[in-house]
This record gives sequence, structure tokens and C-alpha cells, in this order.
Amino acid sequence: MTAITASTVLRRRQDVRYRRIEDEAVVLRQSAAEVLVLNGVGASVLDLADGRRPVSAWIDALAEEYGADRETVSRDVLEFAGEAAAAGLLEPVPGIGEPG
Amino acid sequence: MSLARLMATAWRQNLLVSVLVELTYRCNLDCFFCYNDLGLRGEPLTREQYFQLFAELRELEVLHLTLSGGEPLAHPDFLALGARARELGFVVRIKSNGHALRGELARRIRDEVDPFLIEVSLHGATAATHDRQTRVPGSFERLLANLAELRALGLRVKLSSTLTAWNEGEIEGMLDLAGALELPLQVDPEVTPRDDGDREPLQVTPSREGVLRLFRLQTERGRALGGEAPLPVRSADEIAPAPAGKHCGAGSAGLAVDPFGNVYPCVQWRRPVGNLHRQTLKEIWQGSAGLAEVRELTVRAAEVVGAHGPRASLLNFCPGMASVLSGGDPLQVYSSAVQRKELLEEVLAEEARRPLLPVIF
Amino acid sequence: MSFGAEFLRHPDLFPGRRSGETWGEGSVTLDVPGGPYRFSGLAAAQEEALRHRFGGLCRPAGTGGVEDATAAGTLVFRAPAADFLEIDTRGWEYALDLDPAPSSLRVAGLRLMARLDWAPALAGGLWTPEAAGEEWTSVCENYLRIVVAYRLLAADGVVLHSAGITDGASAWLLLGPSGAGKTTASRLCLAAGAEVLSDDLNAVVPGEGNRPLVARLPFTGDLGERQGRQGERETWPLRGLLRLRQGPREELSPLSPAAATAALAAASPYVNRDPFRREPLLAILEGLARAVPAWELTFSLEAGLWSILEGLAK
Repeated sequence: MTAITASTVLRRRQDVRYRRIEDEAVVLRQSAAEVLVLNGVGASVLDLADGRRPVSAWIDALAEEYGADRETVSRDVLEFAGEAAAAGLLEPVPGIGEPG
Repeated sequence: MSLARLMATAWRQNLLVSVLVELTYRCNLDCFFCYNDLGLRGEPLTREQYFQLFAELRELEVLHLTLSGGEPLAHPDFLALGARARELGFVVRIKSNGHALRGELARRIRDEVDPFLIEVSLHGATAATHDRQTRVPGSFERLLANLAELRALGLRVKLSSTLTAWNEGEIEGMLDLAGALELPLQVDPEVTPRDDGDREPLQVTPSREGVLRLFRLQTERGRALGGEAPLPVRSADEIAPAPAGKHCGAGSAGLAVDPFGNVYPCVQWRRPVGNLHRQTLKEIWQGSAGLAEVRELTVRAAEVVGAHGPRASLLNFCPGMASVLSGGDPLQVYSSAVQRKELLEEVLAEEARRPLLPVIF
Repeated sequence: MSFGAEFLRHPDLFPGRRSGETWGEGSVTLDVPGGPYRFSGLAAAQEEALRHRFGGLCRPAGTGGVEDATAAGTLVFRAPAADFLEIDTRGWEYALDLDPAPSSLRVAGLRLMARLDWAPALAGGLWTPEAAGEEWTSVCENYLRIVVAYRLLAADGVVLHSAGITDGASAWLLLGPSGAGKTTASRLCLAAGAEVLSDDLNAVVPGEGNRPLVARLPFTGDLGERQGRQGERETWPLRGLLRLRQGPREELSPLSPAAATAALAAASPYVNRDPFRREPLLAILEGLARAVPAWELTFSLEAGLWSILEGLAK
């Protein structure tokens, strides 16, 4: 899969179900019968992955939520987004914000 | 960070994660030990009321929604409700006897409901035993045929069974059958009274030897698989959480609803805490005095269980069962739970004595 | 065709036990031969419709049935209309799909599913989408006919497709399937001053010394009493049996016990399709065929049918 960048628009895959519990989330991939637990960043990314906003918007939102510096947040978010996409939790929205 | 710890948080904070809905008590089989209270009466929930319930469950961020019964497929709006549940993004499970799960209905379930899992009941390794329990001749052969069809359709299926005096001699056969079908089989070691307190099902309570044999088989087979679960399809709420100060998630992370809108802490604990004809689910979840009491009771139940020593986690004790067996006291630990703990300890002790490596002379 | 396939969209979902969601808290207990018969789980409209249909045969509201351990109880459950296939009833002869087993009977029909279970006492379940009116009473009546047939059989009696004719002192049963002329024959007798009990279904029950008695049933075609009258006589000694045929001229010929038994078997609805009850049925019918005289009667519209019967009685 092409690398995820800040301009990529991602959405939760159709078979992903999750529930936030405090800062974390329990995530279930229907097609693979996997149960995962995500930490705060991961859970927030799932919330934000609505298929409309690019990854850069997530970084902005999370930097504000955690009061952290944008560079650190950007690194974490991009890393998680890549892992989540590889794990089948997220997918790019075709035709929007194609990775450069 | 672990699933168990997350579920413990849900219990502590009363975050609703799982709901089981008994859509109807109509059933196309007649299992001898069925726990449904067939004398229960009331006004069935309408389709619109179910839609409203599901919408509220969505707002409460419920993750798991199980459709049960009776036989849920017999509910007139089963497909519409299942489709709505799917639309709203729940992890949908269907608990079915499997008897009607074939042909067009099976295809429509796959296409319109797209369940995460269908749990189908298996009662024996042979037609004689299975049909004896369902009391419908031909049900075993029908089930096997339907299971093949469900797999061909790509539906995920899990077999579930209850250990009884009638099938306790066939557990190995049932595990082999499940293996041949490439389906997981979960066996509950306990027969429960009916939800109205009728103890007739207890007539088929398995013997001590039968329970021991089951525990040994489960341990052996688990070991043979290298300690892995056959298929990772356990729901989050089935995983025993880390210590949460409560014995279980009844009324804290889970609820059950019967066909007449009565809401219960869980499918086993039949103490109604509200009714959906009179209150919304949210009102019940947030304001029911009965539910508050249940939550307090699960705290006290944890203390009661904890008093059983370092191996207390082996005490598979259910306050709902305790309530029925004792005539109203959900904290009275019943003898069958104690006996099963002892049997588990025995099996674990046997495991501990096994050499780690084959002894080569 | 497998059981229920003619009537049900999902025969696989046919109820395996007496359970589901009832229509309401209402109940009606009927005093019909082989009874009492108690219907419970009724919506108010269903209860009202049954009381209207069966009239004096219904016990007053609030009485009877709950304590009566001898009652044949039926719970009435909701079933969605979508459970049933649409049937064009124009020109359709009413039929039911029966599936007997040693201790149960499954029934599928027009907007009805039912089961009788002997566990060990007879208990019934009826599933229908009909909530009121004649559609509901029609479903209920079609079901009740079956229950009555089985209840009477268990009490050494039998329900017969027949016209029951009485002079007040005793009764004749005119046997024959649809089209044999039961209603025609009934009209002729009525015109001659006799009373018609029913031109469709009548019961025979054992009396003192095992002498057979005719009991009125509230199931009629065009003629007969559907609702019961207070204080009326309930049974009449059975005078004789006539197997009906229509023809250009009258002819009367005695039937042997074997032929009479065969005619009776052909006229015993529902239970004559049940292989698990064939022996007790035939035993009862054979006893009946030996207890009363039987003839085959060919009659015409000009026949003084009633005078023929009166002549036989002398």
C-alpha cells in the first residue's frame, strides 16, 4: 500500500466495530474475527477517520486535545495510521487526497 | 493495555458494552432443558420500539448486540431488525438452534444482517442424543446439513452446547464432530433451572464424572492446540476481566431484554429492572433503582467469591443462578459451583503434574 | 409436498412447542361434546368474536376452565401474516395439512398453524395473524373441529361427516363426503317436519350400556344449530346409519358391518388420516357398525326421504 501522508483521507473499514472505554477502545474486525485494544491515540484516530478529513486534520485535533507539540503528534499519528491501514482497520477513500 | 483490563473498566464505570435481546419465545424445537419462561405474558415490543431501542443502544455506544429467543428467526421482523442492527454498526450475534438456517433464509441473513457470528446449538454427537434433547426427530441430520450450507455461504458459525446427563458420554464425539466441521465448540458445564424457577431441567444435570471428563477434554484439546483457542471468536465480554471490584458485568456492562420489553441485568439474572413500554432504555440504564442495587450486589458477590481463597477465580458462580436456586439470594454460593471449582482444581493439579517434556529413556 | 409447504412461507419455523407471544389475557371455555374446550391468550376482540359465534355454548365470562383439569386447553399465539402464503380461495376447497406423530399432531392451514400435544393430557397451541371477526372465528373453528375429533376419539366416540336428523326421540346419521347430498337430504327431512342437528358434522358418543348416542356439534353447513340452546337435550339414541347416494330412483340396500365400517371410516375426518390412531378408530367404528343397522340409500329430489327413514324405524 502507498505510504500514508498528511494529505491522505482515510476512513474506517466497513467491517470495523469499536467502543471507546475511557481513553482506549476495544475494536473488532468483523471479517477477521479479531479483537484489538487501542490506546488513546489509536482510539481517537478511529473516531476521526470519517472519510472526509485528511490525516492533517487529525493531527491538528489531537495536538490540541493532548496539548502536545504537533511534530510529535504527527509522527505518532502517521505511524499508527500506517499500521492501522496495514491491519485492515482503515482504508483510503478513493479519489480523495491521494497520497503523493 | 489489555482487553481484560478494558472490560474491567467498563464494569467499574457502568459502560454498557453488550446487550442480548430475546426477540420471541416461539421456537421450532422443543429442547427439554430450555430455560425460557413460557408462562411469561405481556405486550410484545413493536418493530418501531425495537428500532428506538437500537438507536438508544447506539447512543450508549453499545458494541455487542445478540439476537436470541426462543428462536429469533421466528420473530416476524427478524430480518428487518437484524439489518437495522447491522446499519447501526453493532457486532451482531445470532443465537439460533440452526433448524431453519438454510436456503433463502440463510442467504438473506448473510446479505441483509451480515452477522459477526451465528451461535448454533449442538446437543450430542449422534442423532439419538441430539434429537432426544430437542424432541424433534430429524433435527440432528438437519443441523449437519445446514451447517455445511452456512459454511458454504461464508457465514461464521460457532457451536455451543450444554453438558447434560444425556450427552456427557458423547462430549469427545462432539468435539471430534466440531473438529471435522472445522467449527469451534463451546460446552457449558451447567444445566440451569427455567427462568420461572422450574427445576425440571435439573433432572438432566450431568454427573460429577461427566463434568470432570469435560474439563479434562477441554484441557487436553487446548494443550494439543498449543494453548491457542480454536478460533479467535470470543466476544470481549466473554473474556474474564482483570479485577474490577465486581464479580461480573451484569447490569454494569451488559443487559438483557425479553420479548415483552422487560429489562434484566443479564440473560441469567431474571430480576426485571425496568420495562421498555414504560421507560426508555437510557432512563432505565441511568436511573433504575433495581439496576443500582444489582451493581451493588455484584460488588458484594466479588467479596463472597474472593472469600473462597486463592483459586476463587475458578468458582464459576452466577448471582442470577444463585437467586433462582436459593429462592431469592443472589449471594448464596450454590453447591454445584463449588463442586465445579473442585473439579477444575483437580484437573489443573493433574496438568501441573505432567512432565513438561516427554521423558526419553 | 412436505408438511406445511402449501400454506407456510417458512415451514422450517413451524412451532416445535407451545410457546410464543399470545394475543392477550382473554379466555373462552366452550361446552361442546368432548369438552370443555378452553381458548386462552385471547385479545378482547377475539374473545368477543368467539362468544358471538358460539353463543350459549360459551361459559359465562370469568367462569370455568382455569380450575377444570379436564378441559382441553389451547393457547392462542400471534403469528405474522407474512408467515403464510397467499392462497386464491376462489374455487379452492378448504384443506388442511396434518402431520400426525405418536403423541402430537401438527396442523397447517389457511392462516393457521397449530399443534396438539399429548403430554400426557391434550394441550393445544394455535398461531394465527387473525385478530378479530369472522376471519378469526373461521380459523378457530377449523382448529376446534380437529380438537373435538381427537378428544372424542379418546373418549371412545367419533366425529362424522354426516347429516344428523332427529324426530326428537332418536336420530339418524346420513353419511357422505361433500357433494353426496347431506344438505339436500337434510332439506327434504326438514320440509317433512324433522329437525336437522347439523348437515355437516355430528358426533357419536357411547351411552349407557354402550348404546351409541348422537351428540350435536356446532359445526354446520347450511342447516343446523351453531350456537346451542340453553336447556336443550344434548344427545339422541342413534337409530341407524345411511350412506347417501343421489340417483334417479330410490334404492335401499343393507350394508354389512364391514361395509358400514368402511363408510364410517371414510366419514371420520382428521383422525382417519392418522396412522397412529387407526386401530382405536377402527375398533370404535366396528363397534358402531355392529350396534346399529346401516344401509346404503340412493335417493332422488322427489324422495319422501323422511318417510323412508320413518319406515325403517318401524
